[in-house]
Amino acid sequence: MKNQLKRVPRAGWACFLIALVNCAIWTVVVPPFQVPDEISHFAYAQYVAQTGKLPPQQATLQYSPEEYTVLDSLFFFDTIGRPQMRGIFTSAEDRGLREALAQHPSPTGTGGTTSITNQPPLYYALAAIPYWLSPSHNILFRLQFMRLLSALLAACTVLTAFLFLRELLPRLPWAWTVGALVIAFQPTFCFLAAGVQGDNLLFFAASATFLLLLRAFRHGLTMRRGVLIGLAVVAGVLGKLTFISLLPGVLLALALLGWREIRRVRAGGAGSGTRADEQADPSQSTGIGASLRALAPIALATAIVIIPVAIYAFMNLHVWHRGGLTGGGFEVATVSPTASGGHAVTLHETLDYTWELYLPRLPFMNHAFFSSSPLTGTWLDGSIGHFGWLDYTFPAWVYTFAKYLFAALALLALVGIVRLRAALRSSLPMLACFAVMALGLLGAIGYAGIRYRLVNGAPFEQARYIFPLLVFYGLFVVLAANALPRRWAPLFGALLVMLAMAHGLFAETLTISRYYG
Amino acid sequence: MTAAARLALGLAALLVLGVLALEMSGSAPRSAGSDHNNPAVFAATVPGGGTVCQPIVPLPGDVARAQLLIGTYGHPVPALQLTFSGASGVVASGTRPAGGAEGTVVIPVHRASSAVASSFCLHVSGHSTVALGGEGGPIGASSELVNGVAQGGRVSLLYLRAGSESWWALLPSLDHRFGLGKASFFGDWTLPVLALLLISVWVGTFRLLLRETT
Repeated sequence: MKNQLKRVPRAGWACFLIALVNCAIWTVVVPPFQVPDEISHFAYAQYVAQTGKLPPQQATLQYSPEEYTVLDSLFFFDTIGRPQMRGIFTSAEDRGLREALAQHPSPTGTGGTTSITNQPPLYYALAAIPYWLSPSHNILFRLQFMRLLSALLAACTVLTAFLFLRELLPRLPWAWTVGALVIAFQPTFCFLAAGVQGDNLLFFAASATFLLLLRAFRHGLTMRRGVLIGLAVVAGVLGKLTFISLLPGVLLALALLGWREIRRVRAGGAGSGTRADEQADPSQSTGIGASLRALAPIALATAIVIIPVAIYAFMNLHVWHRGGLTGGGFEVATVSPTASGGHAVTLHETLDYTWELYLPRLPFMNHAFFSSSPLTGTWLDGSIGHFGWLDYTFPAWVYTFAKYLFAALALLALVGIVRLRAALRSSLPMLACFAVMALGLLGAIGYAGIRYRLVNGAPFEQARYIFPLLVFYGLFVVLAANALPRRWAPLFGALLVMLAMAHGLFAETLTISRYYG
Repeated sequence: MTAAARLALGLAALLVLGVLALEMSGSAPRSAGSDHNNPAVFAATVPGGGTVCQPIVPLPGDVARAQLLIGTYGHPVPALQLTFSGASGVVASGTRPAGGAEGTVVIPVHRASSAVASSFCLHVSGHSTVALGGEGGPIGASSELVNGVAQGGRVSLLYLRAGSESWWALLPSLDHRFGLGKASFFGDWTLPVLALLLISVWVGTFRLLLRETT
């Protein structure tokens, strides 16, 4: 592992460090609990840290007395969703906060149900580490330390994006840096990395899964790569249930890898030649036994995923009594509400809804779910920036400009694909598996979205839900830059990074004016 | 190519800094805080000649105007007299003469002392009833009192600083506010240090881009 880390180019570590510092800055800029759902994510982590157990999800108080006290003293509920309202603004109000916390309200809550408590525990178990490592037991100290974990995970996501692009486009070193840096400065990504938010582990696990599958495809599936794939996948599954939607694509990718390994073994081991174990023992290269041995990494990866997940499911059911194998999370996402017409949601409706979430409605589609296109209104505008608890945005002209810019970049990216077709063709089967993973995610958002909308009467979708695909955002920018002649492509890529930096900078000044101005 | 790249990236950075400087130079009325009630609904109905009073969090030191939402049922806005009081008496006050249409109105506030204000009273002149923007809610310790009778609501007051300021002029206040409401090791030093860190990130990225893309 140490040697592997040493092989990461210096530029990769530079991108990691830039992302880490940039996101760490964001953790201070964004006031406590102003990242979406941060109050619930913190409450989950605090319950785990204080009790060593998962929240039992009872109909009791959701947060600890300490968290309620700090939320009240920060005027939290007066601020969220109200762009003209501010939190603590004067020294007198700040003294009120300190005096309230000096009463030492209990940090141990009762683990009442929130929108987060049905999620698996890995992120919260990790967040419990900085919670206890904090030099002060003050809740705001602890929150700040836990936020740094999110910044670290975001930096790891940027590093995996760098390595992903290196695997995909090994002959374009500048593209690795450009693709990673546009992610490092993406303001919605940084905003989420500023808070105690489980999505940060999901983004890292998804990026790592894409990287490791691609690496195994290009260099062969060794035992070590099998272990790493298993670890990335299990981190995702135990990080956030959303990751489950990527699993069909992951299974397809593993099947592809297995098939290639068997073919390679049957052909006499004439593969990549990078596997030391086979070079040491050529007799392993043929026969059914050899084929089975070739599949051992897949079996190992599967075991690494299944065993902890099975233990988690068993504990949910029999030890923690959390209302089902997945703690109730899967049940909530798959609930079948009665639609307004008095019938259960049909497959037809679900498919129409999912299509219309991403693409223009087709003439034969009976259902019109959206008055304007979610492609721009939700996904593009949301990625450009719907900050806070979705309560402040850039001026409208920024989104109009972004629409034209991204349309132009999309056209350039198509040209870039044509220009890089030879480089991409060699990874085409694995890219097809990634497409299945992406479709799984998009389909899951649509499936849960229509049900949530019918139950709650409010939109479900937020741009961050597609951020597990962040590595492809980096690839998109790299492809657009590659539309230009080879001499100018790196410079154009660098200028796009500058644009991303400006985007991030103005998002920070917007955030400062929102909360402190 | 390296020189051209350096020039292009340098010009891009200058352009960003120029836009930032321009943006920060824009002058506008700036917030001094609020009583933490949002003017989401009309939360108090006050008859002409009546007074609404309400407990508040301490009045910010830099408040020069108070903004509130008022509905007059089509009549001109009556004269308004706003008084902030504390344990030692009147802390600040201001009046707005009658006239103008309903909607957002601004009342100048003059401090009489630096003591802490714990409540405000708004006296509505004339004979017609007005409605004031704020939040609904059950009757409690922080509820409004209309002519001495507790009502289920809270009036919203948004405080403004004097005149119109650029972000440059507001920087000292921003710097101070930035350190509040966070872990106690943050303070007035935080914003300048973060700005320096951000500059370091930009310089580092600039150098990395030059090295990797030329």
